[in-house]
Amino acid sequence: MKQPETKPSDMQHLSVAIQRYRPEQDDTPVWQSYQVPYDDSTSVLDALHWIKEHQDSSLTYRWSCRMAICGSCGVMVDGTPKLGCKTFLRDYPQGLKVAALANFPIEKDLVVDMSRFLQHLTTIKPYLIGEPSLVQAGSASAGSDQPSSAALQPQLQSPEQVKRYQQFANCINCGLCYSACPQFGLNPEFLGPAAIALAHRYNLDSRDQGKAERQPALNSKDGVWSCTFVGFCSTVCPKGVDPAAAINQGKIVSTMDGVIQWFSPKQLDATPQEPTS
Amino acid sequence: MSLTKRFQRSDEPIWWSLFSAGGVCVAMLIPALIVLLVFGPSLGLLSPDTLSYQRISTLLYHPLGLMFIGAVIILPLFHAMHRIHHGLHDLQWAHSALAKWLCYGSALLLSFLALSLWLLGR
Ligand code: SF4
Ligand code: FES
Repeated sequence: MKQPETKPSDMQHLSVAIQRYRPEQDDTPVWQSYQVPYDDSTSVLDALHWIKEHQDSSLTYRWSCRMAICGSCGVMVDGTPKLGCKTFLRDYPQGLKVAALANFPIEKDLVVDMSRFLQHLTTIKPYLIGEPSLVQAGSASAGSDQPSSAALQPQLQSPEQVKRYQQFANCINCGLCYSACPQFGLNPEFLGPAAIALAHRYNLDSRDQGKAERQPALNSKDGVWSCTFVGFCSTVCPKGVDPAAAINQGKIVSTMDGVIQWFSPKQLDATPQEPTS
Repeated sequence: MSLTKRFQRSDEPIWWSLFSAGGVCVAMLIPALIVLLVFGPSLGLLSPDTLSYQRISTLLYHPLGLMFIGAVIILPLFHAMHRIHHGLHDLQWAHSALAKWLCYGSALLLSFLALSLWLLGR
């Protein structure tokens, strides 16, 4: 049996104000209001779709998965960083204001330039860095195009070893934490919550040997030490990553690293990049 | 920005360690001391004699009194000045080397004063 369809005209309407910025015509961002039909299941992203389809096809925003997986639909809703697809109009009975993610340069309307965040991610080498001898054995060496059997052994992990880093591995790179972070707002060179959480995630992984390569960036002023534990990053994170915890655990790691460095013989000044074995 | 950027180790671990140690003192030890010393006598937990000037000054100038000076004066000083230093940056009032010197310098100076008074009083 066919469900009777509710026509948008029968639905309740809510005022959604959107911060527009069209570089070719606006000098600064401007606000525009729309009346959007909604019910209990209408997300902010649905509202943006509705506006684009019915009222203003020039409205520009990012999205993909509609289910809090891809991390591309981040916007400020009433001044708080949120995923558009995970935020519902029913929670804003007085209407809402949607703007581009704070602390990033706006490209157009709700689309921001995230390259700074992506640079910071690259800086901390967010991938497994293997044990050097195994890595060498794994790449085909002269005389043989087969990796050695040692290199082909699976790197097993116990559930406890997985548990150490799993929470920090849930990041979807949405950037909400960067919008929430006043320190990133003041100093965009700060590596920031997600990048540091990811560095911590790999440093905690029993298969990884890359800590010495990541630590110099984390130890610097723009690494863990720019954080003053405001904690808003963890509040807004849609995935429960708790980057603030990662950064503050990172401060302990960095302090220990410093103590070891300061109290060891001078020859440790050599760059840690070349592991000796 | 290149990936081979050189990073300079921050000296923040020193200040942050003092700040953290001071934070523990400010949050746990000092309230406990306040409760004990202020309400102890009236609640009958301490006899007024325990807090007599003679006894307290003997305790204070005992080598262990130095720990008291450290936990109640010196570490909390560094805790407070670290917060002020970062607060000045957050409010964008000052974030220069001078502000840093003034903040930690005053903590050092006052700590030195407390230690000198302790040494002189022995
Ligand atoms: S840590 Fe959380 S808020 Fe930050 S980018 Fe990852 S998922 Fe988004
Ligand atoms: S659309 Fe993918 S997270 Fe919202």
